[in-house]
Amino acid sequence: MPEFNIRSDSVNVEQIMEQIRARIREKRGVDYTEQQIRELAAVKLETFLDPRGVRSDLLEQFRRAQAPIELPNYAFEDTTLYETHRGPIRWIRKLLNPILKLFLNPNPLIQALHIQARLNTLHAEQLSRQRAVDQLHYEVMHNLVVELTRLGIETKNLKMRVESVASRLEFNERRARALESVVAYKPATERESVYDAPPAHSSAPPPPQPQGAPPPAHHQGGSEEGPGQRSRRRRRRRGRRGGGAPGGPVSQGQPQMRPEDRGPSTTPSTDAPSANESHSPAAETVQRAVATESHPAEHGAEPTASPAPAPTAPPAPTPPDPDHQ
Amino acid sequence: MKLAVVVQRYGEAINGGAELHARYIAEHLARHAEVEVLTTCATDYVTWRNELAPGVERVNGVPVRRFRVKRERDPLAFGRRSSRVFTRTHSVADELKWLDAEGPASPSLVKHLQRNAPLYDFCLFFSYRYYHAYHGARAAAPRAILVPTAERDEAIGLSIFPPVFRGVRAVMYNSPEERAMIHAAAANEDVPGVVVGIGSNVPQNTQPGRFRQKFDIRGPFVVYVGRIDENKGCKELFQFFQGYLQDPWGRLSLVLIGNSLLEIPKHPRIRHLGFLDDADKFDAMAAADLLVMPSYFESRSMVALEAWALGRPVLANGKCDVLKGQCIRSNAGLYYESYAEFSETLHAIEQNRWLSASLGRNGRQFFRDHYDWPVIERKYLDMLARLSREASSRPMEPLPGWFERRRADRPPAREVAGRLPLGPALASGREAERKRA
Repeated sequence: MPEFNIRSDSVNVEQIMEQIRARIREKRGVDYTEQQIRELAAVKLETFLDPRGVRSDLLEQFRRAQAPIELPNYAFEDTTLYETHRGPIRWIRKLLNPILKLFLNPNPLIQALHIQARLNTLHAEQLSRQRAVDQLHYEVMHNLVVELTRLGIETKNLKMRVESVASRLEFNERRARALESVVAYKPATERESVYDAPPAHSSAPPPPQPQGAPPPAHHQGGSEEGPGQRSRRRRRRRGRRGGGAPGGPVSQGQPQMRPEDRGPSTTPSTDAPSANESHSPAAETVQRAVATESHPAEHGAEPTASPAPAPTAPPAPTPPDPDHQ
Repeated sequence: MKLAVVVQRYGEAINGGAELHARYIAEHLARHAEVEVLTTCATDYVTWRNELAPGVERVNGVPVRRFRVKRERDPLAFGRRSSRVFTRTHSVADELKWLDAEGPASPSLVKHLQRNAPLYDFCLFFSYRYYHAYHGARAAAPRAILVPTAERDEAIGLSIFPPVFRGVRAVMYNSPEERAMIHAAAANEDVPGVVVGIGSNVPQNTQPGRFRQKFDIRGPFVVYVGRIDENKGCKELFQFFQGYLQDPWGRLSLVLIGNSLLEIPKHPRIRHLGFLDDADKFDAMAAADLLVMPSYFESRSMVALEAWALGRPVLANGKCDVLKGQCIRSNAGLYYESYAEFSETLHAIEQNRWLSASLGRNGRQFFRDHYDWPVIERKYLDMLARLSREASSRPMEPLPGWFERRRADRPPAREVAGRLPLGPALASGREAERKRA
């Protein structure tokens, strides 16, 4: 969609055209017409090709070298020596031919010159054939140079585009990270209040549960944990180690985690004994939470997708969550 | 004050640019002075065949005196002579023969001017490149005012015309670009001149809804008005518009008004309505989102002015100096020189309502300031008053002698025309704006 940055009230056509041209340049990189590409190919070869390997005026030199040369030739037959456009003189020469042969034998001379004439003709034919082939070579080379120039320009444009896409990607990544951190840390005070608040099974009556809904999970339910699971987890452990809040969610008959138990590999072994007695929903939830924290991706716990404020909310009727099923 | 308007063809049915220009000027000046039109019996600009009766008749209340054309144009001979003077070194005699071959050769009109010039205060000659203007301006030089309607073509490079540009009393230009071109070609800066152009009788109450209903046109559209011809840039317009049609964002259709000499692409969003009368034409312009002017060569564009008068933006071919200059001076239109620019400018006008409305508003103002009839009439009357006060300062340069005329030392006209400055004449426009401010 065209967007124009016209700030003054009056329209300035030249300014608008400048903006339009800038947009076109931005969109398509540097535009070259066919003529410009040809000019570039003819003049600035050294910019695009290795100057050590290819001469910049190669095409011009090639063309100059191809200038057709008219080779001189003659026809030499046995009568050539005696030819003349005057009939009587030709007759006299023929008449005196035997006398000439008394002094020298012209036959080898005639034969040699005749062969030479034929050789000249053959050579000229060969040259003309060669010229035709060279012409083809020239055309191929010319097209190659033009195409190479075009490709060079296209590569340049593509490079620019890749750079632009890469910078956009980088920006998006940074933005995503920034959003993640916002989601993770913004409601910290609220989270504090939740964890420091009386536990879920406090005297407050649970809210009504919708029909057919699964039993209400604890609000710390594993897959409901957002991107701030790590900090929550740390807080939970801290709570456990220090006695935690009375009746805290993880303090219900759960063995306290040692610092060395923080790694994901320790989780199953640590929590295994309690699994048997964890038929209570709380224990099950904790197990799930730990498992989720260890492999958040496997549970589809995408930071931005997870409902971040969930932990802060009071125990509410929890809709069925596929991750919990 | 008695004025003669001298033009190659004249009549209500004649719609050529310069001829219509002459008729409008004659009819409007007739309110302020006694005007007589001197013209030929021809109606066809290709053959100059005598089709109307010689003598005096009245057209819209203006007396028109017609003179016979001595001979019809021979296209082959004219082509040969054109090729000679445009592309090869030649003589003045060759150029005069070219002018004779171009026509409309009407010696009787020129003789009438020679005999009766003193009866007129001033003679306005339209279209510098024709026989009647060249010989007529020479015959009545002390009273001659030239309305050149010059375009950037080879004829401006011929050596017979600069003495005429320098020898007339005044030159009424159509645009600053035309003035700059003629100044460069003839060095006639000292000849009084003013950029006037031509007004248009644009109706105040157009009915865009009626047009849409009559021709069953829905949705936004861009309109082209004029002859649909390759010379008018229509081929390029079709190519570009077909490219634009590929764009899913674009919603504009193209509506073409005028006789077609070109095959029109078949597409549901390209509509050709043929030749329309003025009411339909103006309604169409009022209904359109914008007017497109793809022509490469224009000395002025009446339809662009009419679109501006109706408050519609114009998208012009930026390769035409005059149109580009007008767009910039008026701030009422955008221009393109490539497909990318065509597409972007079209989108800009289509998507940005504020821009479109502002351009249209500027166009309306530009038309009111420069091309409303009272403004045009005032410019003519001021110039006539000025010339009445001032004496003629420079006589017309005589033609070279017999031998000189036959010396083949004139460069090809194409070369000369090619050396003339290009681009829109913006400086003068800005100066004028500053002065106005």
